[in-house]
Amino acid sequence: MIQLHNVIKTYDDKVQALKGVDLRFKEGEFIVLKGVSGSGKSTILSLIAGLLKPTSGEVIVDNKKISKLPDHFCSEFRRDNIGFIFQRYNLISTLSVHDNIVLPLLPENLERELLEEKFQRTVTLFNIKHKEESLVKNLSGGEQQRVAIARANVNNPKIILADEPTANLDEKLSLDFIEIMRGLKATNKTIILATHDPLFFHLDFVDRIIEVKDGQCY
Amino acid sequence: MLLTPEILTLDILNLLFLLFATVAFYFSVKILVQYKADETTALQYKLEKQSYLVATIIKFIFTIKIPLFIFFIFTLDKISTVLPGAMCGAGVVNATQYGTPLLMLKILNLYLFGYWIVLNNEDMKLEDRKYLKLKFFIFSFAYILLLIEIILQMSMFFSIDVNSVVDCCGSIYSTTSGTYMADIIGAKPLYLLTLFYGIYLFIIAAYIAKNRYFYSIFNLLFMIIALISLIGFFGTYIYELPTHHCPFCMLQKDYHYVGYFLYIFLFVGTFYGIIVGLIAFSKKESDLRFKISIFFDTLYVVVITAYPLFYYFKNGVFL
Repeated sequence: MIQLHNVIKTYDDKVQALKGVDLRFKEGEFIVLKGVSGSGKSTILSLIAGLLKPTSGEVIVDNKKISKLPDHFCSEFRRDNIGFIFQRYNLISTLSVHDNIVLPLLPENLERELLEEKFQRTVTLFNIKHKEESLVKNLSGGEQQRVAIARANVNNPKIILADEPTANLDEKLSLDFIEIMRGLKATNKTIILATHDPLFFHLDFVDRIIEVKDGQCY
Repeated sequence: MLLTPEILTLDILNLLFLLFATVAFYFSVKILVQYKADETTALQYKLEKQSYLVATIIKFIFTIKIPLFIFFIFTLDKISTVLPGAMCGAGVVNATQYGTPLLMLKILNLYLFGYWIVLNNEDMKLEDRKYLKLKFFIFSFAYILLLIEIILQMSMFFSIDVNSVVDCCGSIYSTTSGTYMADIIGAKPLYLLTLFYGIYLFIIAAYIAKNRYFYSIFNLLFMIIALISLIGFFGTYIYELPTHHCPFCMLQKDYHYVGYFLYIFLFVGTFYGIIVGLIAFSKKESDLRFKISIFFDTLYVVVITAYPLFYYFKNGVFL
């Protein structure tokens, strides 16, 4: 489903983040990319999401060479296929939970009823319905994390990418997050999670752990 | 040599365009020679990025160049007041050997630059960017024409002698001068009108049949015959003078600047008409261009036909 062929990524012609990475992910797999900060994990996620283009090599998702797609096609691809959970959540703090979550749906120009239906289904699934009118800036870290997960899932994407999702959470909230991931894995979504949190290294539902070190995968 | 604020504006803008277009030309040639759509090497990704930048530069140059043509015509008309003998832009064009080829080239470039902009817009809509090489090839050709246009324009303004008497449009577009131009504009009105309305009917037929190739060809022919018939026949009704065949005087205040409207209608109509045959648009996009084209072609025909008709109703005779 997802393939990276001999991917090299160099930033500013100086920093080589990836040094010829070859990876394959199957549909429905739960993959943990393990590695220290700066090892290249986030770069791999950004390349799969089409947020970055490789310096050379190719990224293929569902037989589509996304590394060769023009930018606006990458945005469409991302909107339809990818849910991205960021380390710092990347929510808009001055908007409500509702508005943050429906944001990825707006470019689709859905009917109001359909939009609300998708929203309600998502907030119920991630247990944040009671906070839907609250401003994001007034939420706790764990609640913000749930909003971020809900936003990543509102489009029902086939692929979930999570970049250090528990870095700002305590252990209890991290365990909550793991349970949410377990639920998503059960829906046959392909999930790739980049982390250096040891909590993820011995989970029963993780299919593979790939170590990323100095821009190479082991 | 003649320098007015308008000429300075045109020259400065042209030099800026030339500077940016030369940079774009360098990268265009590089992309043409080295770009391979299927390869995923560092060079190919770099060329893809450069293609966006270069296309943006070209798009802005051409987007300004097209309306600048109106300013050029306005400038010709304005400086005619300082040239002894000239009554309108025709005298200025004819004042030097560069004027006529410059005007012809500018009209050609108008269509070429417009074509490039539309082609670029289409290319940006496609995942595989199948027009990428074609658009840079066309730009490389357009760059040469742009270069010639700028050289001709500067040469023209540089060599205008304000102390020499020039011909006025009455003698330049005279039907008795024995030139090819005189033969063309002096053709019998019946021939001109048969061709003009005949081609317009063919355009309508091609529109109904939605045959983009015929529609394109007939629009090209329509553009040529419309200009000839405007000078040879319809213009005389705008001026209400049977011997006045000037394509420039109608741009003046005396004639309510009607020339600007007529030329814009003709350009928009024929441009969109020609373009449907050159680019394979989606059905929705193609239909839109067909509609724009037929609307402006028809608008031109209606407005230009109104002049002899009103003249007839007012005076009971044709010129």
